[in-house]
Amino acid sequence: MTDHTPLRRQPWVPLPVAVALVVIAAFVGLKLVRPVIPQSVILLYMGFIVLGLVIHITLEDTRIARFSGFFQSGPGEGILVKVERVAVLALLPAVAAWATYAGLRPQYAPPVEIFQRHPTVGEATLAQITVPAWAADPATWREADIAAGKVLYTANCAVCHGENLDGLGPAAAGFRYPIRPANFRDVGTIAQLTLPYVYWRLTTGGLQNQFNSAMPRWVAAPGDAGASALHSNDLTPDEGWQVILYLYRATGYTPRVEALPAAAHASH
Amino acid sequence: MTARGARGGLAWAVVSGLALLPAAGLFAEPAWAQAAAIRDYAEPALIDSRLAVWIAAQLHLDFAAFVLAVPMFALAIELFGWSVARRDRAAGARFDWLAHEMARLLPAAYSLTAISGALLGMLLFAAYPRLMAYMTETFGPTFAVYPLFFVLETVCLYFWYYAWDRLQGGRKWAHILLGLLLNVFGTIVMFIANSWATFMMTPGGVDESGALVSLYGAVWNFGWMPLNVHRLVANITFGALLCAAYAAYRFLSARSEAERALYDWMGYTGNLIALFTMLFLPFAGYYFGFELFAYSATYGVTLMGGVLSWLFIIQAIVIAILFIGAAYYAWLGLLRIPGSEPQRRLIPLFNVALIAGFMVWATPHTMAASIEESTGQFHPLLGALGLMAPKMIAVTLILVVLYVSYLLYRRAGKVPVVPWARAGARIEWGLIALMAAIIFGLGIYGYFAPADVRIQTSIWQILVLIGGILVTFVLDLFLLRGAKTAAAVRWGSMPRRGQYVLILLAFVIVWLMGLMGYARSGARLNWHVFGLIQDTSASAGLPTLGEAAIVVTLITLVFFALLGVAFAISALSGRSELPAFGEPRRGAVA
Repeated sequence: MTDHTPLRRQPWVPLPVAVALVVIAAFVGLKLVRPVIPQSVILLYMGFIVLGLVIHITLEDTRIARFSGFFQSGPGEGILVKVERVAVLALLPAVAAWATYAGLRPQYAPPVEIFQRHPTVGEATLAQITVPAWAADPATWREADIAAGKVLYTANCAVCHGENLDGLGPAAAGFRYPIRPANFRDVGTIAQLTLPYVYWRLTTGGLQNQFNSAMPRWVAAPGDAGASALHSNDLTPDEGWQVILYLYRATGYTPRVEALPAAAHASH
Repeated sequence: MTARGARGGLAWAVVSGLALLPAAGLFAEPAWAQAAAIRDYAEPALIDSRLAVWIAAQLHLDFAAFVLAVPMFALAIELFGWSVARRDRAAGARFDWLAHEMARLLPAAYSLTAISGALLGMLLFAAYPRLMAYMTETFGPTFAVYPLFFVLETVCLYFWYYAWDRLQGGRKWAHILLGLLLNVFGTIVMFIANSWATFMMTPGGVDESGALVSLYGAVWNFGWMPLNVHRLVANITFGALLCAAYAAYRFLSARSEAERALYDWMGYTGNLIALFTMLFLPFAGYYFGFELFAYSATYGVTLMGGVLSWLFIIQAIVIAILFIGAAYYAWLGLLRIPGSEPQRRLIPLFNVALIAGFMVWATPHTMAASIEESTGQFHPLLGALGLMAPKMIAVTLILVVLYVSYLLYRRAGKVPVVPWARAGARIEWGLIALMAAIIFGLGIYGYFAPADVRIQTSIWQILVLIGGILVTFVLDLFLLRGAKTAAAVRWGSMPRRGQYVLILLAFVIVWLMGLMGYARSGARLNWHVFGLIQDTSASAGLPTLGEAAIVVTLITLVFFALLGVAFAISALSGRSELPAFGEPRRGAVA
């Protein structure tokens, strides 16, 4: 160890004990938050906290010496120090044992999944969806279509997505995992999406495929042989577009504009 | 990962003496016209072609980034040393030594760049004949120009490096000129190769069938300039951290105090350059992302909300490690300065601020939760931290903390002599506190404001940060003008753990570059050329996140194994004389 000028400070709690207390307090504190914080996020936070503590200890040679010195017994030390040392040393195997047990005990819940808010769809699939001329430009949307969309939305969608389009319909609480019905007023939903994408979600839904949402299929995709067997395909394509227009108009968002036409690329 | 592939194709074309070009149809009948006769795919390697190309492309990019970046800051240091030498010969010699020491890694790394590029080129042309025929047809003239600049770069590099000792004194200007040309040619080489990679992402200059309309439009496609800027800045961070890792390796194996002192200084300089350029990287990344989103909303959905969105959570954590590691090294550096106790007392506070900031920065908006943990919606407490406004507050204040750490480092062991020192310091700290308060206030305002206003407030936060840094730094320069040095910096007394951190940072940046390179290339999904040439090969699907992480880790390990060879070769040809080491001008390089 290099000879560096030490910082003058006499601690009243041995450093390793203070470190253990900080780790325990942070963990218990995070565990007590309600609604519960997912384990994945607690692990992330604890990782940062432990990193911060390692940095704190290793920034000064004196702190390293104080940390490692705690684990060496010396003549005439009190019983309290001995107890503290054993407690801190017991903590590591205890955490390891608990982690092993937590990892191996039989569980009946499905494994934790990473949820994708917007399932990825190929450009080719979206290219097959033609936006009708009357729905393509927000500036020329007709009030009659939006009004029709509102009626359809209220009758079919509001039960989950809420009359205020905030994802808080009467049935929303019934869906908890992995995601509740979308809140269209959130900037992370329709505000980020193009018209073909939103329409694709209407034709695809979530229940029947890998996308892990309870959203039914509302409009049959063109040429879909299995359409009649679906849970629901109550809307015609035009009705689907009317609902989409209503979503945007009611939330005040405008759809994202799809890729510039190839001609514009060519001239760029 | 064929986007990167195009680039290595060029290196291969050069190495093979342009033999490929006639075969590819440059000087004969257009290859695209013979498309019917060209197979779509082949399996030349024993492993999956996509995997082989991915590994070769990333390795090539890693080495290419290194050989492009090092001459940039090595030349800047050389130039600085040249200007200093007129006033202080010893200091000039020291900076010249540092520049040469950084350049020492280049010849071996350059060979590895060419070898990996050759491998990539061969794999690309053999495994993706139809795609490469199309690329050759579209970019034919650039395929011919590229080798020319590559050769010019090579010539400049070898002359610049090997004529270092000959072109000293009165002939130094010729050496500087060579270095300048090397950088110009190297940048052109990168820009050309970037045009192929970005064309595959955001094709321009072609009609809907893919036929070329304008070569200018194909080269200057939407993603081209953003990627140029992003790579230019990122390469410097990357190269500086690798040089710092080399310095750490030499520090750890040093046999004398003088050697240890010099490599300590080199590691410090590398870390400082990396930290400085890292400040700009997030904004270069935003610029690239902004252009991609403008080109196609599909990219926006894929990268930010869809299949690749979790890569950005991993990226946030890895970037946090980079910043925390660099800050840790900088704080540890205070131990070199006798009389730095007042500054060191503040570090625990900075540590808490940095860790808390990065906890906010890395909080995901949509969390990975089990069925028991799921609230079904964003977490009422932590969900707010996943949004842009709190993250902007966190990341901008982290940058303030890093900047203040740097100011403290400048001040450590120094006694200001200007009569207004006390008042000046108070004004300086007051301004920094005001800057932090404004950044915080803007973030809170932005949180409750509509999205378009929120984006504007984040721009204002950056402007306040940059403005605040400029004003306080100028004030600091005047404040420390003629300051008395209480004790000389003890270069070489940096603890060994600091050196291991530098090596860790190098590993992390290589891994991060691999991960985000995968994100960039993977965002095209099942397209070779987005919207034009579909990937219909057996391996068109994206690998899982875990699989991608394993491949990226494997590439990083192979890269370091090869770089270790380059380091060892460089160490063999050590100069016998080391410059005398007095008190170098701390912070002068920044």
